[in-house]
Amino acid sequence: MKELVVENLSKVYFDPRLGERVTALDGVSLRITPGEFVAVAGPSGCGKTTLLNLIAGFLEPTSGRILLDGREIDGPGPDRGVVFQSYALFPWKTVLENVAFGPRMRGLPRAECEARARRWLELVGLGHVANRYPRELSGGMQQRVGVVRALANEPEILLMDEPFAAVDAQTRMTLQEELARIFEERRPTIFFITHDVNEAVFLADRVLVLSKGRLREEIPVPIPRPRRWAALVENDSFKALVGRVLQAVRTA
Amino acid sequence: MRSANRSDGRDGLPAFFWAAAPFVVLILLWQLVVELFDVSPLVFPSVPAVLRAGLDGLADGSLAAHVGASLLRVATGTALAVLVAVPLGMAMGTQRGIAAFFTPLLRFFSVLAGIAWIPIATLWFGYGFGAIVFVIFNAVFFVVTYNTVLGVSTIPIELRRAAASLGAARLAIVREVLLPGALPNIVTGIRTGLGFAWRGLIAAEMIATSTGLGYMLFLARDFYRTEVIVLGMILVGAIWLALDRLLLAPLERRTIERWGLVRPT
Amino acid sequence: MGPGPPDVTALERLLGLWLRAAERWRILATLGPFVPLLLLWWAVAAIELFPPAFFPGPLEVARRALELAWKGILGAYLEDSLIRLLVGAAAGIAVGLPLGLLLGLSDRAHRVLWPLVLFFQAIGDIAWLPILIVWFGFGLGTMTFVIVYTVMFPVLMNTALGVRSIPEVLPRAAASLGASRARILSEVVLPGALPNIITGLRNGLGFGWRALVAAEIIVGTSGIGFMMFDARRAGSVTEVVVGLAVLGIVWSIVDSWILAPLEKATGERWGLVAR
Repeated sequence: MKELVVENLSKVYFDPRLGERVTALDGVSLRITPGEFVAVAGPSGCGKTTLLNLIAGFLEPTSGRILLDGREIDGPGPDRGVVFQSYALFPWKTVLENVAFGPRMRGLPRAECEARARRWLELVGLGHVANRYPRELSGGMQQRVGVVRALANEPEILLMDEPFAAVDAQTRMTLQEELARIFEERRPTIFFITHDVNEAVFLADRVLVLSKGRLREEIPVPIPRPRRWAALVENDSFKALVGRVLQAVRTA
Repeated sequence: MRSANRSDGRDGLPAFFWAAAPFVVLILLWQLVVELFDVSPLVFPSVPAVLRAGLDGLADGSLAAHVGASLLRVATGTALAVLVAVPLGMAMGTQRGIAAFFTPLLRFFSVLAGIAWIPIATLWFGYGFGAIVFVIFNAVFFVVTYNTVLGVSTIPIELRRAAASLGAARLAIVREVLLPGALPNIVTGIRTGLGFAWRGLIAAEMIATSTGLGYMLFLARDFYRTEVIVLGMILVGAIWLALDRLLLAPLERRTIERWGLVRPT
Repeated sequence: MGPGPPDVTALERLLGLWLRAAERWRILATLGPFVPLLLLWWAVAAIELFPPAFFPGPLEVARRALELAWKGILGAYLEDSLIRLLVGAAAGIAVGLPLGLLLGLSDRAHRVLWPLVLFFQAIGDIAWLPILIVWFGFGLGTMTFVIVYTVMFPVLMNTALGVRSIPEVLPRAAASLGASRARILSEVVLPGALPNIITGLRNGLGFGWRALVAAEIIVGTSGIGFMMFDARRAGSVTEVVVGLAVLGIVWSIVDSWILAPLEKATGERWGLVAR
């Protein structure tokens, strides 16, 4: 596991329609240690997705640096697994082929890729849909596959871009608990973007509040794990933390 | 209006019978009319005359030569066009701005597809193989490029990003994401383009060559050999029908069914 | 996948200006891309990469087009072509529409006639030319037949498709409300199939236009296709290119300003997605 360091990161777009420059991110610095779960919360348009896209390597920063294990990142790569809001499963591949995609891109033999994909699917209880196509699954199931696909590639850090925003409330809570369980068992490093304050506090060790392209506040979440909704809904310190983050998001 | 009790296999007869029966009736009717009204062979041939023309053509090998020449031209022109159009369309489609910019040009040249190029093709390449292949190339190239651009630009950018972040190199992204994602559109483009190309081929062969189905048709006209003309027409129809219904349409349906219709939004 | 440069470059400014202008005047977005193409054409012709006799420049072509228009030849030929297309298309619709309705309404007719329709559609307009010349000679009869034939099939097939895709409940509902058979046809079946009919019309006219050009090239005595082939015989590349440009421009205008909006309007009004 390696450390992710973001140093004084800025991103300025040129909007051709407006004919002017737009600042999406303005001097953001942060550090994520191995095995840590960091959530970024903020209203839409605050620059949080831009931040994730920069770390993923989909965009290039205007200034500043992103270092993974001391080395500056160069474009997208398998060391940073991404889970998308729109799932981004390949519709022409089966669930198994989707999960085996990453290992296959590393040049592993096909049989080994599939064995590994199958192992991961079993782990989250998706073994029975391995040969289905993504469109045959519900949104919640699709996103489970999306998470497993990223994990099966064994990235150094998992980047999650509002992954549960498109599923219904009931499923969302289940998926949040599942993610918490995976995190508690395997301790991957996770960078999680959300506009849902409850979600951020429930999942993360640390919540960063982003607004208008700047980091406004950093709020540690000292709630012990394992975390489950049934226990936390009425928990006073959980409610207090949610209130604090909400306050920070609103006033920022 | 499709009635509820519509059952194709009601009589237990194979579908082939229902496809063939109308033709049998038509052929009988044709022969009957020719005999009853004593139609001159200079106006329309009798069924046996067409059969004889077919057998003669088969025997002396001229029929195979004409059909072979036509098919070779179509295959060459189409293969060249697809080989150039698909990579080009992909390169254009991945950049939204470039795709939007070139779309009107591609539409314009799709409109001109095929036949309209015959005069200038014969000027540039002379009468023969080159001119005809050029006409077919034109008919297929613009339609396939247009459809490839369309297909690639409708692939959500997240799919490309997902592949890249899973470790796919540029070439792997093309092979694993762009090609399969655009395939339904590419196949539709090839089918449409080939439709234009086949017509263009027949027209071009009438003018610009000395072999091929179109030439066979046009030459027969000079000698009022209506039985050869009708034979040629039947071949033109049958070959296209076989190509379209047995190869292109199932291919198009399969690719669309497998992954074209449902795309993540 | 390409990352944006850090500063606003001159190119970006240009792109921005272009996008905003194209959004305000949509015609710009359509015509703009032709400017670099014309420039390229002009440049290639100017450096005489190919012999000028084979590759005339845009200015030469424009001058020749104006000359032909001034003499009235271009206008007369274009008029000939368009009138042939209109007459042929009207006849094609008059034949194709009722036949399509028949094939759509009657399962029996559909089963018997559909294979024949597919086959005769596959023969295609152009393969008919030789026997038509035998029958009618080089002239109007041949060309009219070709266009009628070409327009008829897409109209026929799409009409049948449209009628067959009307939900069974609609005519039943109309019948239970007391509509006669004729009224069901005019109130339910025709409007229900209209989007498909228009699509068929658009495809048919597209094919018909090409068939017309082919027919004029091969048997014509006037028209744009004839002009092109006549010029080709005389070895005048410039006039051939004039013809090519006129064909493309006229059909682009007809298709994108008349047929496509018509198709879109009917498709939208009936809440169907036009493919």
